[in-house]
This record gives sequence, structure tokens and C-alpha cells, in this order.
Amino acid sequence: MTVPSSPASAGVPAVRCRSLGVSFGSVRALHRVSLDLAPGQIHALVGQNGAGKTTLAKVLGGLQPADTGDVHIAGREIPPGDVRAAQAAGLAMVHQHFSLPPSFTVAEALELTAARPGGRPVYRRAELHGRWRDDVAEIGGEAVLSTRIRDLPVETRQSLEIVRAMAAEARILMLDEPTALLTPAAIDALFERLRRLREDGVTILVVLHKLREVAAVADTVSVLRDGELVLGPSEMSEVSQGRLSDAIVGPASQADRAVGVEAAPGTEQQTLLELARVSSRASAFEPGLGSIDLSVEAHEIVGIAGVEGNGQRSLVSVIAGLNAVTEGSVLLGGTDVTRAPPARRRLRGLRLVPFDRNSEGISRRAPLWLNQSALRLIGRRRRRLPLISLRQYKRKAATEMDQWRVRYDAVTQPAESLSGGNVQRLILSRELAPGLQVLVAAQPTRGLDFSATSFVRRSLRGLRDAGAGVLLVSSDLDELFELSDRVLVIYGGRIVAGFEAPYDRRAVGDAMTGARR
Amino acid sequence: MTGGLQRVASTILLVGVSFLLTALILWGSGYRVGDIFSGVIQGSMTATGAATSSIRWAIPLLLIGMGVVIGFRAGFFNIGGQGQFYVGACCALAVSLRWSDGPAPLVVLCGTLAAVVAGLAWSLLPGYLRVRFGTDEVLTTLMMSFIGALVLQYLTAGPLRNPSGTGQTAASERIPEAFRITDGSGVSATVLLLVGGVAVLVWLLLERTRFGLAMTLVGRNPTMARWQGVDVRRVGLVNFALSGALAGLAGAVELYGPAGRLVTGFSPEVGFTAVVVALVGLLSVGGTVVAAVFFGGLQSAILFLPIVTDLPPPALVLLHGMVAFLVTVKFRAVRLRRAGPASEAPTG
Amino acid sequence: MEQILATTLRSATPLVLVATAGVFAFRAGIFHLGLEGLMITGAFTTVAVAEATGSVELGILAAIGVCMALSAVYWWVIGPLGANVIIAGLGLTSIGLGGTAFALGAIFDRRGSLFTDVVLPRPVSGITSGPGVIVSEHSILVWITPLIVLAAWVVLRRSRFGLRLAAAGEYPFAARTAGVNPSIMRLQALLIAGALCALGGAELSVGALHNFTENMTNGRGFIAFVAVIFGAWHPIGAAFAGLFFGFADAIGIQSQINITERVPREFVLMIPFVLTIFAVWLGGLWRRRSLEAEAGYAELREPDY
Repeated sequence: MTVPSSPASAGVPAVRCRSLGVSFGSVRALHRVSLDLAPGQIHALVGQNGAGKTTLAKVLGGLQPADTGDVHIAGREIPPGDVRAAQAAGLAMVHQHFSLPPSFTVAEALELTAARPGGRPVYRRAELHGRWRDDVAEIGGEAVLSTRIRDLPVETRQSLEIVRAMAAEARILMLDEPTALLTPAAIDALFERLRRLREDGVTILVVLHKLREVAAVADTVSVLRDGELVLGPSEMSEVSQGRLSDAIVGPASQADRAVGVEAAPGTEQQTLLELARVSSRASAFEPGLGSIDLSVEAHEIVGIAGVEGNGQRSLVSVIAGLNAVTEGSVLLGGTDVTRAPPARRRLRGLRLVPFDRNSEGISRRAPLWLNQSALRLIGRRRRRLPLISLRQYKRKAATEMDQWRVRYDAVTQPAESLSGGNVQRLILSRELAPGLQVLVAAQPTRGLDFSATSFVRRSLRGLRDAGAGVLLVSSDLDELFELSDRVLVIYGGRIVAGFEAPYDRRAVGDAMTGARR
Repeated sequence: MTGGLQRVASTILLVGVSFLLTALILWGSGYRVGDIFSGVIQGSMTATGAATSSIRWAIPLLLIGMGVVIGFRAGFFNIGGQGQFYVGACCALAVSLRWSDGPAPLVVLCGTLAAVVAGLAWSLLPGYLRVRFGTDEVLTTLMMSFIGALVLQYLTAGPLRNPSGTGQTAASERIPEAFRITDGSGVSATVLLLVGGVAVLVWLLLERTRFGLAMTLVGRNPTMARWQGVDVRRVGLVNFALSGALAGLAGAVELYGPAGRLVTGFSPEVGFTAVVVALVGLLSVGGTVVAAVFFGGLQSAILFLPIVTDLPPPALVLLHGMVAFLVTVKFRAVRLRRAGPASEAPTG
Repeated sequence: MEQILATTLRSATPLVLVATAGVFAFRAGIFHLGLEGLMITGAFTTVAVAEATGSVELGILAAIGVCMALSAVYWWVIGPLGANVIIAGLGLTSIGLGGTAFALGAIFDRRGSLFTDVVLPRPVSGITSGPGVIVSEHSILVWITPLIVLAAWVVLRRSRFGLRLAAAGEYPFAARTAGVNPSIMRLQALLIAGALCALGGAELSVGALHNFTENMTNGRGFIAFVAVIFGAWHPIGAAFAGLFFGFADAIGIQSQINITERVPREFVLMIPFVLTIFAVWLGGLWRRRSLEAEAGYAELREPDY
């Protein structure tokens, strides 16, 4: 086979696509996207959730066949949906959701995804380790080869994905939202690494969410909105921040007003949620809690900062009653609920916005009205006959979803048909219903687009002003600083520091990484 | 076309395809499909006593099938109906034979209660293991089913055996005629009222109570249900208990109704057929009633009026297998939703 | 004692073969409840073809062909057609049980069973006393089975094919990223499983016995499936679990001969099922510790195609 002369030479774009179109049913994910990416640069791709960034990355990588249009990698045309051809042309992807099977060892995972042929179809362990020893030098050396993927910290997993890409001698690297799960320090390290790769002549396309990160790393930027390329690729020096945000949000976006929240009566200056020396057992993912003291008053938002996996999940689960407490007590509105089941806590006014809205917050396959009515299914009923009227349930759900401006066609449609922002609105419409005393919001804006994010933040503030207490768990420091009256830092399952406004980003960051106690 | 109609249409189509495939096999083996077809019509509806016989065979399918509907609704693959049915019948038999001189209504009531409790217990053990330890219920309910069949075999061959019985298959003594709630046809006003009443109750429970909705929620996404404060363990236990109770009740109805005694390995396929019935009935109570009558008619025609059809019994097993094999097929042509990027790992 | 061990080998071999089939399916992410149906189809086809042609080799080849064809149809139904894996698997079992019994009547005009003189060769035979009894009178398949298990181990745990298969089963997205089509991997796993089930059935009918009987597998396919879980989806583990269930079976058979007077036969027959419940329970406990979350397991039962 004759290789086209010097594929990276000037003039031939590293990645070129023409009028790509992809639809999922009636949803148009990509529409006539044409893009040329010059070699040897870092290109950023931004856009709101559901704008089509991930779909575009998948189409370019051959994971998703396009309905229309064509893709050229380093001058070669890639047949639709042909991963192997894209890889052979020198393209490698680092996915938002890691692409390595959790039960595999690092060596096995590298072998699985290896592009170069590995000799005999059958191998010995030692042989496998010998083959990959050099590649993992940067992420812990040979010892890491026999570690299982699921036991690796999240940064190492991501580094491993890059190792995998580089081992395949990739000349074009695509990263889909690589910063979503990383700490600020790890993000800096990642960007440094990308710059070094650029020095080596690698072309990089990185999907990002935050403009600050785009400004920090990218040479050019492109913006997708509603599946169409609305800007770029433009040199970073040529576009202002303002123009970028306008391109991302679009002209038609109307500002949302926050929905009024009924004040919980008689909650002036009262401790609504209190944890006293609470400890819990470690889970497979996280350390247990170590003697946590915490209180949330009425009219207050308390932020919990921390690097993911430091006990945030345990903390929220213990408050919700999903995990057992080994020591200490949990009080809701002054009542001890340490041993109370989740339902009793819910009835006492505890409301939750869980970490993963698609698996914990809603039931994707259940109809909207049932999702909306879930909290009405627990507790005692006053009427003697246990029968209910579905029509009434549906009507009530519709009223509340309309009030929160959830966009839907029929209350009977499954919840999976909603976009991320709409799902969060649905959850808020359920959780912020009257009777609320304390809201525990875990990552309430993760992955939401700009307008949905500001809507959620306004709602939280509205809650506080109405007299409720809010415990906000977030890995977004800007969000915490913007909303919280106090910020506590959780590290290794313990609260290691507390801060009040004005916040010192540096100090909080140090506490999060354990540099300061 | 709405989603509901679409599901009904595709189910009917799939059942039709299964029948067609089975008919092809029969035709290939030298049977005359036309004769069989008219034989089945006669044997299930038009022949003397055929309609009654169809209903008689539909009753256990309906009762056990509703148990399956309840189980599947909450996401539990409780497929041990056969064993629950057997132990229910055994307990009712034991009560009736040991207390054969008691007042008939009281004995029948106690026997029925015993059957319900036995079926419930047989189902609750896998249920407890499932909700407490996460033990997979598909295999445990299946194993409990095998054990239930052996319990029946033991009782009919041992303690409750009819000593004067002859022939190869062991059978129990007959219960006193006074205890019977139907004649040999297996259909009477009492039984129809009982089964109809139970069906209405199950429908109300599933569709018109908060507990029923909570069960649906657990079935769709147990994690979310837990976060919402639903007591998933309790829902699970009650769910397994109800499924088992219904199958146990079916055992009692069988004994006090058409059977009057128990024979080793009677109705060997009823548990699995009930799963098929529930699936063909689209896991709804109304659909299950229709499907139960349909499959009851088939069973009556093929197994119990063989003069009409002259088909060997395994053909029915084959047919049921074929329906089960195909009935859950989802038509991709319909494309309710094409798998988008979010289908693998839910994104925000 | 020697007799018990010999019986253990004899009753374990079909279990081990079918359990190995189950391991292949499980690795590919399929909760395969059609093993029983494939096994009895294998048993019947072997006897039928061997009886018709007089050649046991042809019989086994035909059984492998039929079982692989059925497996391909099963793959088509649960894969491209999106049917539920468990229900379709149970359906496959019923098709096998009903179909073989029906065919017995339709082809051979028999009810119940079909005898054959064409059986598998027995490399060692005629030893009636001493430790030699243990290895005597076993069909060639009993001798080959350890090799098959070893081969399965190499293929699943030490080959690139095995890596691709495990990736397809555990995390289809990972497989797709690596340029592997998970659906095709599942097909390959099911085909291998089908061939192994055919061998298991053949051992039952023309290895250990001389006949085919209606419903002769008698739940062995399900017990083999449990051996897969008990053996932690590992070919060696599943083989040992199969051996253990074979041993339990052997004790059952022995006690039928010796102690039937005191213990009712039915209770002895219950032992494997009760043990199975324990095994699933313990296997579940083990699995919980080893797997990340229950959600992963649920995915196994209904893989995303």
C-alpha cells in the first residue's frame, strides 16, 4: 500500500469533514457540519449539552456512522462507522466515559485496544507485560500493568487512555470532555501534556465545557449549536469571550425566571440538618465518613467542596438514609433520624438532587408523570380507601412540570426522551415541591448547559431566600463560591477545613488536595 | 398508531409466526395441518364440553400468570410458579386428607389458606435471598420449582399415596366429594367468582394503588426508587409473596376443583406456560386473561381431547417454547427509538 | 469409594462440557438458559444420526451442526431482534425438550426412549477391581474433556480473542472502541457454546449410556449453568464446580442403591437443587464483592445490543 506523501504536510488538513448529518429518530444531532482542522495545533470544540459535540467526535472517530457527508483523516477517506480505518489513518480517541473494561488489567486493556498486531494469537502474561512495559513508564511503570482498571484513580485512567492512544502511534488525538472528572491540578497537568504532544506534531481536538479552559489550552476554537457549526474553526486570538458565549448560547435563548418556592413556615434561625460525629463504612468507590460534624441552618447554603471520591457520595447517602451510620447521629429539624428509613426522612422534608440524574434521579423507562409523582408514593394516606386516581396524578404532574417549564409532549412519554437540562427541571419540580425543609443537591449543574445551569443556581438561591437550608455538593469551585454562605472541604471522608466568603481559591484547593489541614 | 396498539399488534404477529413455524414442523413430520387446525377449534370451542374444558385449563394459567405479571412488574423474574403451584396443592391435600371428617366449608377454607401460605413461602425464600443478598432469582426460583416437583412426588408416592392405586404413576387418595367446589369439569360459579374476584383485585393493586405504582417504579429503576424513599426490600418481599400466593391458590383450586386428588407430575408445563401467557398478555391483567383463555383452549384441545387432534403432547411443549422464544422480540423496523449516543453510558 | 469416583467422572463430564459452554456465553455477556435445550438436542441428534448411519462420529458431527445452527438462531433472536435473553433462552430449552420428544415419535415412531448400539469408544475397559475402576469404562469424551477445559482456559484467559470476547461481554463500548463488533463476538461465543453443548449431550446419550430418553437431561443444563456462576465464570472454576455437582450426583446414585430404605429417594434427588440454591447464594455473595455494582450484573442479563 502506498502511503500518501507526508500526510502531515501543510495544506492537507489533519481532519476534514464535509456536510455531516446524523439523526436519532426525529432528533437531529448533526446537520451539515463541515470542518477543516490544521495539523499540529490544539483545536477546541465547545457547545451546550446536546449541541452534538460528542456525536461529532464519535463520527470523526468512526464509532458512529454518519447519515450524510464524508470524513477524511490525514487525507484519507474513512468509510462511515469504520473504527479500524480511522485508527489506521492515525486517529485515536479518549472518551468522556472511559473506554477500558473495568475488570481488565492495564496490560490486558492495552493489548485489547492495540492497533499494531501482537504476534501469536495466544500469549503469556510475562510476554504481555514485556510488550507494554515502556509505554506505561509515565503512569507508574511496570507495577501498574497488573492493576485492574477499576482500581486506578480517575486521573490515571485518563492518562492511560492517552497512553493507549500514543501507543497506537496516533498523529491525531481527540479528547471528549477530558476535564469533567479532573481536579484543577490534574487539569493543568493534562493541558501541559497536550502542549507537549503538540510540540511533537500531534494534532489535537479537545471537547471542552468551560471557556476558561478553552482560553488556557486551545489554538483554535469551533462552536456547535443544535447540531450545526456556528463558529470556527477560528484562531483564539481572533474571537472575544463575548462572541464565543453568544455563539454557544445563541440568539433565541430567553432568560429563565426562577420558579418561586413556597417558604417552609416557622423555620427562622433553626438548625434544619445536623450531623454529629457521623462515621460510616467505606464503599468500593469511596472512603467512609470519619466523625463528621456538620449543620445547615435555615436561610443558608452550605457548600461541600472536594475532589471527587473523597466521601461526598457517602455523605449524601448517609443523610438520605441509604447508607448505615456506624457512629454518631443525624438530625433533621431537631429530630433524630439516625435509624430512620429513607421514606421517613423524605416525609420530614428532606429533598435530594442525586449525583447521577439519569440513574438515580429519574427512571429513564418510566413515564414522566410517574417520575414526577414518585414522592407521592411514600408515606401514609388520610383517605380510607387505598385506591388512587391516575388521572389526578397525571394532571398534578403536568401542572408542576409546566410550572418548572419542563419541555415535553405528553405526560406518558418515557423520561429518557428528555434532554439533560429538562431532566434536571423534572427532578427539581419533584423535589422542590411544598414541604421542603432541607435540600441536599449533589452536582446539580454537572453537564448542564449555560442556561440550565443558571436556572438551577437561581432556584437554589430562591430556596435559601424562602427559608430553606441547602447542602450543595459540587466539584465546581466557581459554583460553590458563587452560591454558598459557607464552604466546607471534605477530604478522605473527613471535613478538613471550613471557609467563609470571600473565598481564597488557593487555600480551598490546598485543603481539597490534602496539602493543608 | 399509539405505542400500546403497536405492542398488541406486534405481539399478535409474533405469536402468529410462532404458530406458523410450529405448523411447518408438524407439516414436515407428515401431520395434516388443516385437520389439526379444525381439530383445535373443535377441541377448544365447538365440541361438547370443549369450551368448559378450555376455561378449566385457563384457570391455573391465569392465576399463576397474574403472579408472573406482578413479579415482572417490579423487575423480578419469578419463574418458579410450577413449584409454588405444586406445594400449594400438596398442602391443601394434606389438610383435606388429615381432616377429612371436618365440616366441608371450614376444611376447604383452611386447605386453601394452607395452599396460599405454602406457595407464598416457596416464593418468599428466593425473594428473601434476592432482596437481602442480591441472589439471582431466576435460578433460585427455578431450583425451588424442581424441589417442589420432588415434594409432590414424595407425598404422592409416600405418605399420601393411595394404597389401592394401580398403574405406573403414583397418585394420592381422593379427597371427600363434599370438599369439591366443582364437578369433574373444573368449572363452577364458585370458581369463576373466585378467580374473577382475584383478577379484579390484582388489577386494582397494580393499576390503582400507590403500592402498585411503587412496584412499577422499582421494576423500572430500583436505584431511583431507593433515592425516592421507596422501601425496595419491602416491595420485593411483598411482590414475591403475592406471586407465590397466587400460584399456591391455583394449586388449591386445582385440587378442590377438577382434580380431587394429586398425581405425580400433573400439569408439568403449567408454570412455564403461565410465563408465556403473561408475556403474550403484555404483562397486563386484562391481556393475561385473554392469553390464558387462548392457551387454555389449546391445551384442552391438544392434551385432553386427543381424539379430535391426534397430536403428541410434546408438540404443545414445542409450541410454547416457540412462542417464548419469539414473543419478546422487539421490532427494529418500528424504530421506537434508535440507540443514540446516550444509550450506552447516560450522559448529562 | 472407587465406584463413587468413577460415577463422579461419568456424571460430571456432561456437566463440565456444558458448563464450559456456559462460561463462553457468560463471558460474552449472555445469561444462557437455553443450555438444557441445546444439550438434549445434541443428545438426540447424536443417537438419531448414529443409529441411522451406524457411525457415531457422524452422529456427533451432526449434533454439533444442529446445535450451532440453533445457537445462531438464538443469537439472531436476542441480538438483532432484541428479544429478552432469559425468556428466549427458556423458550429454546422448551423447543429442545419438546422438539426432541416430538421428533422421537415422528421419526422413529417411539414414545419414551430410543436405544442404540452405536456408542463412543471406551479406551480403558474391563477393570473390575482396585483403583483402576475409577478410570475404567469411560467414553473417549471423558478423557478429552480435560483437554477441552484447558483449551477453553487458554482461549478465554490467554488469547486476544478472549480479551475481545470479555470486552464485548463486560463493556460493549470498550469493544467497539477497539474496533470489535460486540454482536459478532456474541455470535462466536454462542456458536462455541452450541458445539460444547452438543458434546455434552452426546456424552450423556452415547458416552455414559446407550440410549436417548425423553427429558433425559433432567435439569443438567441448568445445573451446568449454576456451575458457571459457582466457578466465577472461569473455565477452570466452572469445571471444578461441575465436578463437584457430579460428585453430589454420584453420592445420590449410590445412596439410591444403599439407603433408600431409610431416606426417601426424592429427598436424595433434591440434594443437587438445594446445593444449587446455596451455590447461587454463595456465588452471589462472592460476585458482589468482586463486581463493582449490581447494575453491571443487570446489564449482563439484558445486554445492550
